[in-house]
Amino acid sequence: MASASQEDKTEVTARTTKAWWLIAPGVIWMALFLVVPILMIVYVSFWTQTTFKIEPTLTVASWKQFFASDTYLASLWTTVRIWLIVLATTFVIGYPTALFVGLFVKNKTLSTVLLVICVIPFWTSFLIRVLAWRPMLGKEGAINILLQKFGLTSQPIEALLFTDLSVIIGMTQIYCVFMVGPIAFMLGRIDPNIIEAARDLGASFWRIFTKIIFPLSLPGVVVGAIFVSVMVLGEFATSAALSGRKVNLLGNIIVTQVGSLKWALASVVGVILTIIMGLVIAGFLRIVDLKKEL
Amino acid sequence: MAEPASIFRLDGVSKKYGALIALEGINLAVDSHEYVSLLGPSGSGKTTLLRVIAGFESPDAGSVHLNGRDVTSLAAHQRGIGFVFQNFALFPHLSVFDNVAFGLANAPNPPSADVINRRVRDSIKLVGLSGLEDRGTEQISGGQKQRVALARTLVTEPGLILLDEPLGALDANLRSRMRNELRHIRQQLGVTFLHVTGSETEALAMGDRIVVLDHGRIAQFDNPDLVYNAPATPNVARFLNRYNIIEGRLKGDRFESAYGTLSFGRKIASEEPAYVIRYDRITPVPAAARTKEPGIPATFVASEYLGSSVMYFFEAEGGKVVEVEHHLSNGAPKTFEPRTPYMLRWKSEDAIVFG
Amino acid sequence: MESRVLKPVLAVYVALFILFLYGPFIVLAILSFQQGPEGGPQFPIIEWSNYWYRHIFGLTPPSRVAPLPFGQSLIRSLTLAFMTMVTSTVLGVMSAQAFRSKFKGSGVVFYLIVLGMMVPGVLTGLGTALVANNVGIERHWWSTAFVTHVVYTFPFAFLVMLAILNRFDASVEEASWSLGVSPWRTFRKVTFPLIFPGVLSAMLFAFTLSYDEFSRTLFASGRDQTLPLAIYGTFSVEIHPNVFAFGVLTTLFSFSLLAIYAILMTASVRRARKVAIQEDIG
Repeated sequence: MASASQEDKTEVTARTTKAWWLIAPGVIWMALFLVVPILMIVYVSFWTQTTFKIEPTLTVASWKQFFASDTYLASLWTTVRIWLIVLATTFVIGYPTALFVGLFVKNKTLSTVLLVICVIPFWTSFLIRVLAWRPMLGKEGAINILLQKFGLTSQPIEALLFTDLSVIIGMTQIYCVFMVGPIAFMLGRIDPNIIEAARDLGASFWRIFTKIIFPLSLPGVVVGAIFVSVMVLGEFATSAALSGRKVNLLGNIIVTQVGSLKWALASVVGVILTIIMGLVIAGFLRIVDLKKEL
Repeated sequence: MAEPASIFRLDGVSKKYGALIALEGINLAVDSHEYVSLLGPSGSGKTTLLRVIAGFESPDAGSVHLNGRDVTSLAAHQRGIGFVFQNFALFPHLSVFDNVAFGLANAPNPPSADVINRRVRDSIKLVGLSGLEDRGTEQISGGQKQRVALARTLVTEPGLILLDEPLGALDANLRSRMRNELRHIRQQLGVTFLHVTGSETEALAMGDRIVVLDHGRIAQFDNPDLVYNAPATPNVARFLNRYNIIEGRLKGDRFESAYGTLSFGRKIASEEPAYVIRYDRITPVPAAARTKEPGIPATFVASEYLGSSVMYFFEAEGGKVVEVEHHLSNGAPKTFEPRTPYMLRWKSEDAIVFG
Repeated sequence: MESRVLKPVLAVYVALFILFLYGPFIVLAILSFQQGPEGGPQFPIIEWSNYWYRHIFGLTPPSRVAPLPFGQSLIRSLTLAFMTMVTSTVLGVMSAQAFRSKFKGSGVVFYLIVLGMMVPGVLTGLGTALVANNVGIERHWWSTAFVTHVVYTFPFAFLVMLAILNRFDASVEEASWSLGVSPWRTFRKVTFPLIFPGVLSAMLFAFTLSYDEFSRTLFASGRDQTLPLAIYGTFSVEIHPNVFAFGVLTTLFSFSLLAIYAILMTASVRRARKVAIQEDIG
C-alpha cells in the first residue's frame, strides 16, 4: 500500500482516500456477508456432528462420511453429469438462435424484439416455470397427448417425467437464454464487411463459420457457459420438482442435510461444490481472457 | 486596499503521470485584465497546466496563488475560476437558460430568483443568444453552444477564466468570428482570460501576451510581436510554423551547417543550436547566381496557393523540405520549374541563430 | 448462396425455440382454467372455469384443497425486494463511482464484488445460516435473508452502473465545479440526472432478482416464508391448478412492473438522447 511512487503520492492518496470511502460500504458488506459465510462453511465442515448439534471440535469425520458413502459419491457424479449434459444442450440449442438473432437479423428493432421475447419468461417466477413442465411432460401431459393424437405412439411415454430426462429438459429450457444472450451479443459485434469480404473471396459458409464467426463468438460462448455452469451446479429446485426425488444433486444433498440439522455434512458438500465451481470457472477463463474481450 | 498586480501566480508547479512529465517547475504570473494565450503542441502539458490552475488536478510540487492567496489545496468549486471546455460540456438535461443559471442557482448562497433572472438574461444578451433561452442544448448550433458555455461561466463573475481550446470544435469560419467576440467580451468585462490553443495563428491573434509551453516547461512568455520575431528557443520557432530550421553548430560568429557556413544577423542564447529563417524572408534565385548573402541549394517540388500568399516547397540536400512564402502584396506569384535546382537566398540580418 | 437457404431454416428454428420457451407456460395457463375443486393439474379440461382464481382470493367455499398461504408471503417478498433494490442500487452507484478513479486494489475489489453473483445461492444461504447460528442471531427474511439478497443483487447493480459511468463524460461535472457548485450538489444536479437510466436498470435488476430469489432465502430466512418459498413448499405436496392460476397472476403482475419501468425508461431516454445528439455534433 505504502509503495506509491513518490512523485504522485499526494494525488494518489487524495484520490484513493475518496475512492475508499465510496467503496468501503460495498467491500465491508461483501466481506461480512459473502466471504465470512464461505469461510464459515469450510470451518464447519471440520466440526464434530452429533445427532442434532455441531460442536467446534475439529475432525475429518464428515469428510470421511462423504467419501465413504455411495449415495453421496453418486450425487457428485450425477451433478457433474447433469451439468455437462445441460451445458451441451444449452449450447447446441442456443447457438443457432444466437446466430439468427445476432448475425442474420440485420434489422436492429427485430433483433431487440427477439431478445425481449427470450427474456420475457424470466418475468414469471423461476419456480412456476419449473412447475409448468409437470403438466407438459406427465403421463397425461401435453406432449403425450400430442404424440398420441398424431399417432406417433400408441402408449403414453412415462419416461418423460420424474427422470433424468425431465430434469435436463427443464434446466435446458430455463438456462438456454443465458447462452443465447452473450453469444448473440458477440455475434452482433462482428463487422459484416469481414464476412462480406470472405464471401467475395469464394469461401463457403461453413468455412466462414469455422474460421471467422465461431472464433469471434467464443468469448460469448465462454460467458454463457460460465452463467449456465454457475446456475446448474448450484441447482436443487428443478431436480426436486421434476425428478420426484430420484435425481439427487449436490444441492439437494445440502438441502436434505440442513433439513435434518446435519450442518457439518452439508458444509462438506458445500466445500466440494465450491471447489468444483472454482475449477470450472478458472478453466473457462483459461480459454478466453475476458478482461481483454469486454 | 490595492488590488494585487497579478491575478494568479504559479510557483514551481510540477506534475507527473507515472514516468511522464507533464509539467516541470512552472513559474508564471498573469496580470489582471489580460488576455493570455497558452501555445504548445499536443503533449506539451498545456491542458494539464490549465487543469492544475482550475483545481481539477493537484500538482505534485509547487503552489497556485489566486489574488495573492495560496489555493493549491483548495477544491475546484472553491476557487472561483471559470473554465470553458473544448467540447462545451453543456448540461444536456437543462435548457439554455438553466445552463446559464446553473452556477448562480446552485451556489452555496444563491441570490434571489429575480437577481438570477436578470443576470442570466444580461449574460445571454452579452453573448448574443437572446430568444434562445428555452431551447434545449441539442437544438442549437456548435457556435451557439460555445456562447452558452461562455455565458454560463461569465454569469458567475469569476476573476479568471480558463479556456481549453474553446474554438477547436468549431469550423474555420466560425472560429475567426468567435475570436473577435471573445476579445471584445473580455475587454467589456475586464476579466483575465487564459486561452489554451494549439494554433499559432490563434495564439498570436488573441493574446496580449503568449506563453509558449514546451515539454512541460515555459519556453517563452512575451507579447506576440516578440514571440513572433524573436522566438526564445528553436522549438518556439518550430511551433510558430513560420520558420525553416537548419541544424548545425555555432563556431564563433559562424554557423556551420550541412549546407556550408551561414552568416546571420542576430544571436539568441539557447542550449540547442539552430539556424532559423522565416518562410517569407527567402528568395529563390537561379542556381548560378552569386552573391555574398547566405543561401542553400534546393530543387523545387510544389506550390500551394493560400489566398493572400503562395507557399513554395523546395527540397534541399538530405531530403530537407524548405518552405518559402511569397506575399501577393509583394507582387504576382512566381513560377518555378519542378525538379530544377535553385538557390534559396536571404539577407543575413533576417536570420537568427540559437547557440 | 447458402445464406438464402440457411436464413429461412434458422428462422423456423427460432420459432420452434420460442415455442420451447413458452410451451410450458401456455399449457400452465390453459390448465389454470380447469374445473374445481375436483379437476386436477392435467388434461383433459373437464370444464372451463375460473374456480382456481377465485380460490386464491378465498372466494370459493371451503374444500379439501387448502388455500395457498400467499397473502402474507407476497407482502414480505415485495418488501424484501424493495429493501434489496434500494440498498444494492445505492451500494452499486457508490462502488461504480469509486471505480472511476483507478484506486489501489481496485482489481481485487472488482472480483470480490463480482463473486457475489458467481457463488451459488445454496452456498451463500448455507454459510449465512451457519454464521447466524453460531453468532446467535435469529434468522429472518428481513435480516439474514436480506443481506444475502444484497450480496446477490449488488454485483448486478454495480456492473450496470460501471457500464454507464464508463461512457459518462466527466467534463460536465468539472464544468459544474468550475461554476462554484459543490461536488455533492454537482452529483445531485448533474451526475445523477444523467446516469438515471442506468440507475433505473440497476433497480429493476435488483428488484426482480430479489423478488424471485429462493435458494438463498431457503436457508437464510426464518419461519416466515417469502413468496418463492411458499411456492417451493408446494413442490413436495400434491399440486392443484391453484398454483397455476397463481403463476398466471404473478406473471401479469410482473408485466405491470415491466410496463412501469418501460414508461419511466422512455421518459429518461428522451433526455438521454439529448446527450447522444450533443456528442454527435461536438
